[in-house]
Amino acid sequence: MHNFEFLRMVNIGQYLPLRSVLHRLDPRARIIIYFMIIAAATFTRHALGLAIALTVILLGLWLGRIPFRFALRGLIPPLPFLLILAVLQVFLAPHPADAAALYALGPAKIYLAGLISAGMLLLRFTVLILGLGLASYTLSTSEMIHGLESLFTPLANLGIPTHDLVMVMQVTIRFIPFLAQAAERIAKAQASRGADWGTRKGGLLARTRQVIPLMLPLFLTSLRRAETMALAMDARGYATVARRTSMMVMHFALKDALAILLGIAAGAAILLLG
Amino acid sequence: MANTYISVEDVYFQHPVRGGESTPALNGISLQIEEGEYVAIVGANGSGKTTLARHFNALLIPNRGRVLIHGKDTRDPQNHPLIRADVGMVFQSPEDQIVAAVLEEDIAFGPENLGLPPAEIRARVEAALTTTGLLEHRQRPPHLLSAGQMQRAALAGVLAMHPRCVIMDETTAMLDPGGRAMVKQLIHRLHQEGLTVVVITHFMREAVEADRVVALKDGRVAFDGPPRDIFTHPADLYSLNLDLPLAARLAETLRPVFPDLPAGILTPDALFKALPDYTGSQIADIPPRVHKKRRDCPEAIRVESLEHVYLSDTPLAHTALSGATMCAAEGSSHGLIGSTGSGKSTLLQHLNGLLIPQHGRVTVGPFDLNDASTDLKAVRRYAGLVFQNPEFQLFEQYVGDEIAYAPRLMGKDNLRETVRAAMTTVGLDFEAYKDRLTFSLSGGERRKVAVASILAMDPAILLLDEPTASLDPRSRRDVLTHMQGLHASGKTLVISSHHMEDIAELAEYVTALANGRDQLNGSAASVFHAVDRINALGLEAPLVSQAAAVLRSRDWPLPDDILRPAELAENLARLVEGSHA
Repeated sequence: MHNFEFLRMVNIGQYLPLRSVLHRLDPRARIIIYFMIIAAATFTRHALGLAIALTVILLGLWLGRIPFRFALRGLIPPLPFLLILAVLQVFLAPHPADAAALYALGPAKIYLAGLISAGMLLLRFTVLILGLGLASYTLSTSEMIHGLESLFTPLANLGIPTHDLVMVMQVTIRFIPFLAQAAERIAKAQASRGADWGTRKGGLLARTRQVIPLMLPLFLTSLRRAETMALAMDARGYATVARRTSMMVMHFALKDALAILLGIAAGAAILLLG
Repeated sequence: MANTYISVEDVYFQHPVRGGESTPALNGISLQIEEGEYVAIVGANGSGKTTLARHFNALLIPNRGRVLIHGKDTRDPQNHPLIRADVGMVFQSPEDQIVAAVLEEDIAFGPENLGLPPAEIRARVEAALTTTGLLEHRQRPPHLLSAGQMQRAALAGVLAMHPRCVIMDETTAMLDPGGRAMVKQLIHRLHQEGLTVVVITHFMREAVEADRVVALKDGRVAFDGPPRDIFTHPADLYSLNLDLPLAARLAETLRPVFPDLPAGILTPDALFKALPDYTGSQIADIPPRVHKKRRDCPEAIRVESLEHVYLSDTPLAHTALSGATMCAAEGSSHGLIGSTGSGKSTLLQHLNGLLIPQHGRVTVGPFDLNDASTDLKAVRRYAGLVFQNPEFQLFEQYVGDEIAYAPRLMGKDNLRETVRAAMTTVGLDFEAYKDRLTFSLSGGERRKVAVASILAMDPAILLLDEPTASLDPRSRRDVLTHMQGLHASGKTLVISSHHMEDIAELAEYVTALANGRDQLNGSAASVFHAVDRINALGLEAPLVSQAAAVLRSRDWPLPDDILRPAELAENLARLVEGSHA
């Protein structure tokens, strides 16, 4: 029984400081590879492509020494929403005009095409969640920032404020565990004063109802937190000089180039096969 | 010739509050701080200390008047980068200061903003981690550190920027004695290196260390001068909600017995040095201590070999408790001490059923937490927990609603009276505070609201996690007095604190934790008597126990259960009289 460990459930945005082959690649190489695979998985129209993407990502998790149970747990929180979407998809997906309904439920009819597209949706989201998870477990925020900054140098030279864009991303990611933690604290505070949190009872409906009184305080805390974070960044000299430097030095080696080639190959396979 | 580093000239500032009246936080304040000076800013909760400090690095801009930092006006935004690179600020709430998701990257944030070369950044991060004792945690996510570790992290982030001036806003509020000693040494070193140091504190023993003390009242300077001067006029001090440093207070208590004590003792060292040798001939006529076996009293709390791992079976698993045992009798008061991260908060959260034992047993009153059918809601009502950080406890918008939350859920009918009574107990005026926004309260006021919100449930056991952190001396004393009153009225108290004086005043029994296990268990007098063992745990025995130990080493035949200043004075008086007779 793990009460109040909301953080346990929210693992996207959580960097794991392990020392795997993956962690040792140049951050830029990792960014490119993850981008390729996630983009390919987003746009592929084939189930086989998604299956390949899933395999590649599971392989990545293994290479990154990420415990599978930890990674899979990230699927639990969005699951209810995904199921709702999948059910809608079953009924609403376009189907060939001459297709025969598999099953009729009053006016709503279930077609094979609907089931397939619902399955694709579930599979696609699983792949995307695991893929984003993999990216966040293996890329620390500063690796990501400095990697992206380095990749965006051409854009920066065109006068686009890539620095700030990247910082916005970092702050967003930093906020995910914060939200989980804040929710946990509010739930604990409410529970310790008699709210129904973590009392080992209550059905789904009761549990859903509990979330409502959590939302307003969570919203307010987050706003305040955003404000203090901006203040802290100012206080710590953000935007003191035009060009921030980095603690890390990035070395692009042969293995990174090879890894990128493999990533491109995987992306192509996901998009084109099937 | 000394240069003025910070110059505050007739500054007014009012916090913007939507649709509400707001009192000015700074009310025509003027102040000069010289380069290389070490200044302590003291004052009651809500007297404007933090607001003033935020003017020093241009986080706030005066409504009227001006602030010059090394001659640069903070009203000109073009000066801000330079000012912020030079003036490092450690925030009151360290969590607010943390930006990155890995500790060492967070510490690198400042130096990276300065555009330093990578090798230099790495060296600085390394040095800052070493100084603050966080080297082994460098890869951990800062949001999973303990409160004390986070405070060190915030400090490290500022140190790595190599500022010329450091402002510390109650940096020691959540630190254990070891952490406080670290900060003290650090301040000393920075001061030696010629940095300007401004420390905001509620601890008079820290203010004493500074070259100069500035006391604020209602957004104005009420006193400005060397520490010796402010502490020689206790009456003025009390009107500012301040207090004498502990050593000075103890010296005053002992003066009737030792009329030869020099005037103006402010630090423990000065006091210990001045304590005389025993010249009488009386040899311990103290009755040998009876080690009573603790009777099997009706127990309110029993914890046996409790273990707890946060985020277990994830790569972030962190052991907080590894076999802690304690018990507390009904109606007793029990202190929990231990350095930061020793498991105090985790233990307390088990005592009101927020956490359920993973291994080991916990019984609270009539409730067995190992029994899956126990009504946890009833446990939480029976044992009310006041959280360590009031920020995390308050979730309503208005003070009145906040305190009414629990009684409303419990279906009490005379809600208004319940809330009023709870507020009175902690010293908040019902009419003045019930419609205040919780977020606009000062740190000390929030703490009081948090305590009141739990008292409104009328729990049989009161669990207090660092109840006096960030309170000014007078509020601290008020809170302690209220706790004593509650205890006298029959409530069982469990208090965790980094301030052994609080524990010595409140607790009859003490459990000392280290690394998630109980190291010392027993009556407060017997635990604090073991001054060396307490020190070995990175804690600090109460000043009275330390003074008694010093006196014993000078041959005073003192009994070993002395806990309070009055007891020490009484025993000494008896011995002095005896030697004259």
